[in-house]
Amino acid sequence: MRTRYYERDAFPPAVAELRRAYRVFVPVRRGDFHAFAEWDDSVRPDFDYRKTRVPPKGLVFPQSERLLVFSTDERDPEHDILREAPKDFPPQAVVGIRPYDAMAFRVLEVNFDTPEVRDPWWLRRREATTLIGLARADEDATMFRTENYAGPFDERGLDVIVYDLGRGYLAKALGEKGEAALAAMGGDEPAADALREVEERIARAATPELPAGRLRAQPAAPELPTGRLRAQPVVPLFEAEFWDEVAAPCLNCGVCTFLCPTCWCFDIQDEVRKQEGDRIRNWDSCMFPLYTLHASGHNPRGKKTQRVRNRFMHKLKYYLDKYDRGVMCVGCGRCVEACPVNIDIREVAARMNGFGEQVERHDR
Amino acid sequence: MAGPGEGRGEGRMSEWEPRIVTILCNWCTYGAADLAGVNRLQYPTNFKVIRVPCSGRVSPKMILAAFRSGADGVWVSGCHPGDCHYISGNFYARRRFTMMRALFRHIGLDDDRLHFSWISAAEGPKFAATAREVIAAVRRAGPAREWGKTRAQVV
Amino acid sequence: MTDYTDRLRAAARRLLGEGRVDCFIGYRRGSLPLAAQPAILTRAEQADSLIWDPSCGMNLAHYAVGRADRIGIVATGCVSRSLVALALENQVARERLYIVGVPCTGMLDAGALRRRFPGREAAAAAYEGPRVTIAFADGNEELAVAENLARPCRTCAHPNPVVADEMLGEPVASPAVPAVPEEAAAAEARSAAERWAYFCEAFAHCIRCYACRNACPLCYCPTCFVDESRPQWVGKSSDPTDTRTFHFLRALHLAGRCTDCGACERACPLDIPVRHLTSRLNAEAKAIYGFEAGLDLEERPLLDRYRPEDLNDFFK
Repeated sequence: MRTRYYERDAFPPAVAELRRAYRVFVPVRRGDFHAFAEWDDSVRPDFDYRKTRVPPKGLVFPQSERLLVFSTDERDPEHDILREAPKDFPPQAVVGIRPYDAMAFRVLEVNFDTPEVRDPWWLRRREATTLIGLARADEDATMFRTENYAGPFDERGLDVIVYDLGRGYLAKALGEKGEAALAAMGGDEPAADALREVEERIARAATPELPAGRLRAQPAAPELPTGRLRAQPVVPLFEAEFWDEVAAPCLNCGVCTFLCPTCWCFDIQDEVRKQEGDRIRNWDSCMFPLYTLHASGHNPRGKKTQRVRNRFMHKLKYYLDKYDRGVMCVGCGRCVEACPVNIDIREVAARMNGFGEQVERHDR
Repeated sequence: MAGPGEGRGEGRMSEWEPRIVTILCNWCTYGAADLAGVNRLQYPTNFKVIRVPCSGRVSPKMILAAFRSGADGVWVSGCHPGDCHYISGNFYARRRFTMMRALFRHIGLDDDRLHFSWISAAEGPKFAATAREVIAAVRRAGPAREWGKTRAQVV
Repeated sequence: MTDYTDRLRAAARRLLGEGRVDCFIGYRRGSLPLAAQPAILTRAEQADSLIWDPSCGMNLAHYAVGRADRIGIVATGCVSRSLVALALENQVARERLYIVGVPCTGMLDAGALRRRFPGREAAAAAYEGPRVTIAFADGNEELAVAENLARPCRTCAHPNPVVADEMLGEPVASPAVPAVPEEAAAAEARSAAERWAYFCEAFAHCIRCYACRNACPLCYCPTCFVDESRPQWVGKSSDPTDTRTFHFLRALHLAGRCTDCGACERACPLDIPVRHLTSRLNAEAKAIYGFEAGLDLEERPLLDRYRPEDLNDFFK
């Protein structure tokens, strides 16, 4: 397993070396927030960032993607035949991705890579992607741990993990893709003290504690309360009375779903201009009234409460039951932070997890 | 593909002919266009005419749809205020168009592209004159690039 | 503002307890220090969960739409105006509303706080009168609410409820309102090409989550134009023309209806200045027709009325 060390100032130039062989995506500052952008001469990477507002999910699963093209011109012998939209999938490196966002791709893959169906666009882009993660213990108070996010040093989703040691970075390859990327980045063999410091930092992060003096509006909940969910029978949980209360403030906007690194739902639309057609896949949101609308006009989830319930049941119950890979959440806290009406998945999970128990209802 | 009005884009400026979507009230301006024709009044032919029952029927969505489909200009025309076949349709339309035009200008679009008029069925000459005026303005504005959607810009 | 919390709880307790209303719409403490969560109470004993402080910014009128019961609701100037506008459009019934009015001194802007304390995370907030103390991991910061107001609050012309069944306090004075809102003035100073460039850039990072639309109490259409498919007025992808079309038409649908509560901008997860469009339309409605939405229960909305002598100067 290749390990390399970079002095603080030497890291960006080492990443820049990757641009010879990869399209390189880096965190950049955009207004008040950060976003991943392709590193060209117009952007400046900011590896000190904490979280992007919109997750890097779109680098593998774009918000909108042209899948197929067709012609409606009847003079064309191949009219109305769908053909794959011509495009290539060049190697891309996402440098500075945080471990939770990397784990999100592992959560997503069960939807796009199944024994029955293998989504060619998702798979090819995923295959072409190398995830070079940034590990630093700087979780904010909206974040939490789940089975799919063990903390800021979780390397499971990554090809390379880069530990930020303050004075420099220590990078460790995790598999073939990572070896290749790290070879391209150059760098020095790390000294023993840097390796030791990494071990220390990992050990410290294993037992998360609040920094002295930090207050929280609610008790610290570093672990999403989901331990009892697997044993919960699905029907009573589905019919639980608390859903109306959870959904009451919801605006049914798509903030939570579009900022979620693990939401995978999409809609497919045809757009025809003159006689040229595109079949485009767009992110969809279970919050939207069109989401499950049938052609007949019937909508099985026509009411707000039904839609809100589906979002949480899918993430915390159906996914868990169907795939046996933990919950569909990597604890990034984006939905908690950005929800206009402060619906907090931690509180919903607690209600679901405690459902059926004689728990005291706490009015906030 | 090189029919009239098809020549767009930088290299084809010299061949460019404005394409203008014209939305006309059935009870007045549509008749005026007819009258202009019967009277053999000369006016340019860059217009695609859409007949509607009343200018009050025209939604900003329709105007935007025309621009989105590649129109260089849009011209909506109805009955003179007070002469609406449905009493007050054009009065409501006037307020709607006033607000739309304000927003159109606010985002930096050229109001040479957006035209409104009141022309009665008896005003054939006014129709021909207004048509010339509209086309001159759209020519000044040049080929529209802002709203035209040729193909979704997606990966 | 603290006394309003007590008075508000007392009012809600009384209204629910006496059966005067079936539900009471207010805010309760959120899970984050600077957040308040809209809450719909149905029992008098829940009244103590209500709060009133400068984090209560989301427009509650949204929750009154489509309810068939008798509603108690706490309302500032802009919320009361939204209720008036909704009543005029038959989306709420005035006789089923009991409006508890609060004179409003403005709500905090979370974005302004983010910019003021970049990279620092608020752990708790305490409001006391016109000041707020925010606890960060590395110490407390105290600041004046008035200096960190949400954009619409800075120039609010109607801080007092325009209609109320009872008031929790004496009316407050409006902030000095410039004749032209600052955003509109900034836009005026730009050339057409600059305005277009600004519009494109400002909305370029929109993710089409529709939070601006859904947060707006006046956006209540059962099927929004973006969801119509025959004809499809706007594409559903992230194509920039489609995104601009959505924002242009969304704003235009609010012409003469927007009460400038700023819920759209508050809800936007990317801080897109979506009020850029609606505030301009509000300014035009006022300049051209002397009209402001939601002030009068007897006055039809701007686009639902006319005068023969209305502005006609750009019609050929």
